[in-house]
Amino acid sequence: MAAEDMGKISDRVRLVFTISSVIFLIVLAVAPLRNLFSEWKYYKREYFRMADGRPDTKKLLADFHPGIDQIWQPNLNVTDRCVTCHQGINQPSLTDATIPQPFRAHPIIPHRATEWGCTVCHRGQGFATEVKEAHQTTLAWEQPILPVRYIQGTCGVCHRTDIPEAPRLARGRAVIEDLSCIGCHKLQGIERPLMLGPDLTNIKNKTSREWIFKWLKDPRTLTDGNGNISVNGYENEDEPRMPRFRLNDTERAALSAFLIDRKSNLIEPYKFDSRVTAAWEKKPDLVDQGETRFRQMFCSTCHSLAVVRGGETQLIGGDIGPELTKVGSKVKPDWLVSWLQNPQAYLPQGLMPRYGWSDEDLYKVNHYVMDRLTDPDLLKDVRIPEQAQANDIQSGNRLFQQKGCGSCHVIAGMKAQKDFGPDLSAEGAKSVSELDFGAAKMPRNLIPYLESKIADPVSVNPNARMPQYHFKEGDLGSVVTAALSMRGTQTTPGIHALVIADARPEYQAAGDFGKAYERYKCYVCHRFNGYGGTLAPDLSYEGSRARQPWITEFLKNPQTLRPTLTFRMPQFNVTDEEARVLANYLALVMQTNRVDLTAHHPEFTSDQASAGKQLYEVTYQCQSCHTIGSAGGYVGPNLINAGNWLNTAWIQEWLTDPQALVPDTIEPHRAFTAEEKSALTAYLVTLKQSGTVKASVPSGGSR
Amino acid sequence: MSASLQSTLKGFCNNRVWRSIFRRAPARTNRTRSIAIFGNLFLHALPVKVREKSLRVRATYYLGSFSFFLFVVLTLTGIMLMFYYHPAAPKAYNDMKDLRFVVSEGIFLRNLHRLAAQAMVLAVFWHMFHVFYRGGYKPPHEFNWVIGVVLLLLTLFLSYTGYLLPWDQLAFWAITVGTNIISYIPILGKPTRFLLLGGHEIGENALLRFFVLHCVILPLAMIVLIALHFWRIQKDGGLTIRESDERK
Repeated sequence: MAAEDMGKISDRVRLVFTISSVIFLIVLAVAPLRNLFSEWKYYKREYFRMADGRPDTKKLLADFHPGIDQIWQPNLNVTDRCVTCHQGINQPSLTDATIPQPFRAHPIIPHRATEWGCTVCHRGQGFATEVKEAHQTTLAWEQPILPVRYIQGTCGVCHRTDIPEAPRLARGRAVIEDLSCIGCHKLQGIERPLMLGPDLTNIKNKTSREWIFKWLKDPRTLTDGNGNISVNGYENEDEPRMPRFRLNDTERAALSAFLIDRKSNLIEPYKFDSRVTAAWEKKPDLVDQGETRFRQMFCSTCHSLAVVRGGETQLIGGDIGPELTKVGSKVKPDWLVSWLQNPQAYLPQGLMPRYGWSDEDLYKVNHYVMDRLTDPDLLKDVRIPEQAQANDIQSGNRLFQQKGCGSCHVIAGMKAQKDFGPDLSAEGAKSVSELDFGAAKMPRNLIPYLESKIADPVSVNPNARMPQYHFKEGDLGSVVTAALSMRGTQTTPGIHALVIADARPEYQAAGDFGKAYERYKCYVCHRFNGYGGTLAPDLSYEGSRARQPWITEFLKNPQTLRPTLTFRMPQFNVTDEEARVLANYLALVMQTNRVDLTAHHPEFTSDQASAGKQLYEVTYQCQSCHTIGSAGGYVGPNLINAGNWLNTAWIQEWLTDPQALVPDTIEPHRAFTAEEKSALTAYLVTLKQSGTVKASVPSGGSR
Repeated sequence: MSASLQSTLKGFCNNRVWRSIFRRAPARTNRTRSIAIFGNLFLHALPVKVREKSLRVRATYYLGSFSFFLFVVLTLTGIMLMFYYHPAAPKAYNDMKDLRFVVSEGIFLRNLHRLAAQAMVLAVFWHMFHVFYRGGYKPPHEFNWVIGVVLLLLTLFLSYTGYLLPWDQLAFWAITVGTNIISYIPILGKPTRFLLLGGHEIGENALLRFFVLHCVILPLAMIVLIALHFWRIQKDGGLTIRESDERK
């Protein structure tokens, strides 16, 4: 090869080398340029400019420095660079809504951002210094920032007990518990109760195949003949806990055939006293008398009935038990009698108290329910394709298991289904790759998934086994909030150490008291040392409050102290012995140390009592809330029998500090002087209704 | 080059400092040039003389040199990345975030390392194909061909071990798949997988092992073999020259 050829070639090589070097240099220059024009630097400059134009510049720029800012809490695993752009979160002068984001101050909350960081509550990517990366789901970060409407979801990660600052979370948890989600799913912080749906072993005794067929189509009782819902239930009360399964007629026919085919011990018709039957059988007002008794017993405290008021149908009554408007068309008369006599014989875990019935009452109420609480059109439209065949029963059996019915309902001899649905105890921490979006068109992240799946399970998966729930307005959001709070143990170790466990107190009553307590299900409405319902007064300190004879009388004839209440203590027909045991126990055990019943009180003089009357009526105007006799307000309890009802020491302590005894009472906390307290107490103990208790016992007969 | 520049250079090369470093005056003759090459730790592996034909672009496309250049880039960027990296879960992934969001030019460093790694795999393959089709595996180059194949495997293995280090989903699943494939090797498969992962599943042990392999063992092996590879080119009589090269 000639030398000049070589020279030519090396020239060409040199040219290529030069050009590629220049290109390489340009590429190298892009990197620092990108750094220079990064988003966070822009926001830093903007903040500086904004602060510069305000009167409090010095304060706003006190901590300003041109680099990246971050909140670093190693024990919480928090490295949040959000404050690089959100510069003003701790500046009280930037709270105004006119301050442009990202510079506005954070609203005042119990946790300081400097101590907790941002992502502990808001999620999102704290490491990021780019707007999109920090807030959205990206390829390298799945948990986007929480929309404000779900922000309470993160409260629940640590606060497993409900807190007043997070009502949506508390509501969501309550709805999840009410709707028995625990039947199919493992959930964080919710234990499986002893009973979810009723035991269906003996359903044959209770109702007809036609009713089951209708119920399975849409599990609500308040439907008219055309299947239209006249009262939705969930508009003013909670949706029945049973959700709607997507079943066709064949499936419903099979399931109803299977359920009605269960072998069960048929109920012997109850033999009423022949004298009672003879006396009442022909009475024209039998049903009306039954209705009166039904009302007197205050069944409505737990059960609601549809009532037409002013042309509008409304449900009136409590929601502890099922709504009963058309129950006469559902249950069989013999079953009803046996249920009323002893609900636990049919449902051992049922919440219905065992009333003490006289034959007469039972006869009347039974007739009332079976004659008046009916709808002749209820089952008119039910057309069951054919008589139950063996193959129907078999496919019903299969369906029962396929649909997960056994998750909530027990049938003797069949295996209970557990964990039928997926484990949701860490649902709030699930990554996008673990979610099945199917063909649904929606943003690929957890929140829209939860919203869509809970509202309509088939929206993301056409073959979903999950049934359809109905939610009151806003409850869907609450449920999503609660689901987002379930993050299992996947939270960082730092957070895990902060979890405030939900300690639910158990109250175990034993002995004779325990038997009566269990029989009348006192805990369904009353609270005992933190355990039990909230419908009725907390009885934890009842022994300090009420005098034992009064409790005994009250149990035998519960007359309400607050006449405006819709929900009242039912008339259980407690026997003398039971009343004695219950009152003894309450008086001796359910006490508070704040009230010393054994302390010696000097006798009150009549002067004190009249001074107290003066204070009651003139100085403090107590009658604006309390009634004595027929005069006074209805906000507080009736004090006409206060002398028999309340312990002297309790009245004294109550006047000193009512909230110390009952934390959420609305009784005003007044600074009475010692003389005033004595005078008021002296007056109140003189208020006694003598002999009225016995005289007003309704004519219920005795057992 | 102008005469004055040449005389300046000459003066620069002819003082005590130069001599203390290079032990001899600038080489003027072929003999002194040869001695200079032989006497230099870094250059002695290279041939003293090469044929013009083998310097032509078409003879090699400089693929071997390019691969080596990429290896140098990878070593330099890799060392810099090591300043920011902890082979521990979950810190490893957080370090990726730091590199992206707070370290000055961190994203550039990472991308350069990643792109250079991908380019190196391509370059090494291309180099191998090129050598193969030129018959570079034939005697007397057989052993150097074998070293080259080992270098290719080392390159791939470096690439693979580096893949786990970001500790993200991609890394985790890629290594899951890869090590599961290994476990299908009869008899040796399962123990090899165990050895690689330091356990039965991909956890911190695996991360640490991959880190040590990626940053210490494999690069060292690579450096030794690259040196041997270069040295053998010289000892085996230079690059393969084909008849078609001769004709031109």
